[in-house]
Amino acid sequence: MARRRKAAAPKGRDNDVRLMAALVTFGVTSMILMAVMLLAPIVKVGPSEGELAPDFTAQAYSGGQWEDFRLSDLFNRSWAPDGDGNWILVQYIDTDCPYCWSEGELMGQLHLQWNQKVTFITVVVELEIQGHDSSRDEIEGFRDKTSFDGCKTNSNCADRPGNPHSWVYIDDLNARTSGDWELPGTPFSALLQPDGTVAWNPQQPGNHPDGEEMEGALQRLVGDS
Amino acid sequence: MALDIPLIVFTVGLTIASALAVQARSKEGEDGTRTMLDSGLVFSIVGLISSGWTYAIHNSILDSGETTMCASKGLVQCGSVIGDPDWNNLFGIPWGITGLLSFSLLFFLFLSLRMDMHAKWAESFTTYSLLAGLAGLPFVVFLVFVELTQVEGAPHICPFCTVAHLSLIGFLIVAYVVRERKQSGMWA
Repeated sequence: MARRRKAAAPKGRDNDVRLMAALVTFGVTSMILMAVMLLAPIVKVGPSEGELAPDFTAQAYSGGQWEDFRLSDLFNRSWAPDGDGNWILVQYIDTDCPYCWSEGELMGQLHLQWNQKVTFITVVVELEIQGHDSSRDEIEGFRDKTSFDGCKTNSNCADRPGNPHSWVYIDDLNARTSGDWELPGTPFSALLQPDGTVAWNPQQPGNHPDGEEMEGALQRLVGDS
Repeated sequence: MALDIPLIVFTVGLTIASALAVQARSKEGEDGTRTMLDSGLVFSIVGLISSGWTYAIHNSILDSGETTMCASKGLVQCGSVIGDPDWNNLFGIPWGITGLLSFSLLFFLFLSLRMDMHAKWAESFTTYSLLAGLAGLPFVVFLVFVELTQVEGAPHICPFCTVAHLSLIGFLIVAYVVRERKQSGMWA
């Protein structure tokens, strides 16, 4: 006796093809990544020695109007060791931090000694500590040593040790750059080669002669002032 | 900006993908669905390669401060877009890498469907493809907004970024049609 059979819907394959598809996808993506590496190798960016310093744009104060600033505009990418070009000292401070307050004097002395070979930059952040509220007026007061109540929490900026500073101060009160720079606290300074590569980071003391401070690093890396 | 060879290649890729999609609409049944899936695969491959290309430009700009892989002056250029430290990454991850990972997912979903159109999971994969494509759309809108208003010297248009954006939009349209076909019984 003949039995009617309903036409069967097409069935999928017995084996699951998704693993194969995943392997093919992995292969294709890997090939593209390898081609990218050949075309333009990955550049390590970070605050560690040997890495390219993290770039940023921000507003900067040099004594007049606040202006656009981009760190990498200072880099000379074609610089070669022993070649010409200014080194860059990036200092992070909080205008309310007492250590930054006293380091102001040292920075002034270092600038006096090294400003022909080193470009100084001070990036001002606002640490999340009670009483550490800051503002552009406070940054200006700290840099210029002008009368403004609020530096070092409740001191007048005009009383900061040392002379007024003549280099650029950067407003990073919103902490946009501190993440990329892995800021351990303030004050923090790093010395960059003229091509933007981090040459000295105090967080890596194992790479330096024992007890080396900023001044020693400048002497060792930049040479005679 | 003069058309360069990579841009011509990407444009050809987008044209092929679009032509396949148009062709697929006039075909019925399994043949049409297969061609539509091919179109989505080509869109995702163009997206993958263009994302890789933008990542290479990113590395090149970091390395030397400039690149020969794309113009760095004028309205249509990459330098001010991919080279902008504030906007060239998503939580520190370059957009090129984000694009590579995203298009890999889209490629995987469509390749799985293409390899076995009648699998039990086919319907859910059509939905996942559409959702994954939709998830990318806000990023495209955001990046176009950034190009036109936020980067240094805006407005700028980064041609290779635009190729990646068009790839996603093309994929999204195809994913929508593919899902419609599955749900309306035109799949096979």
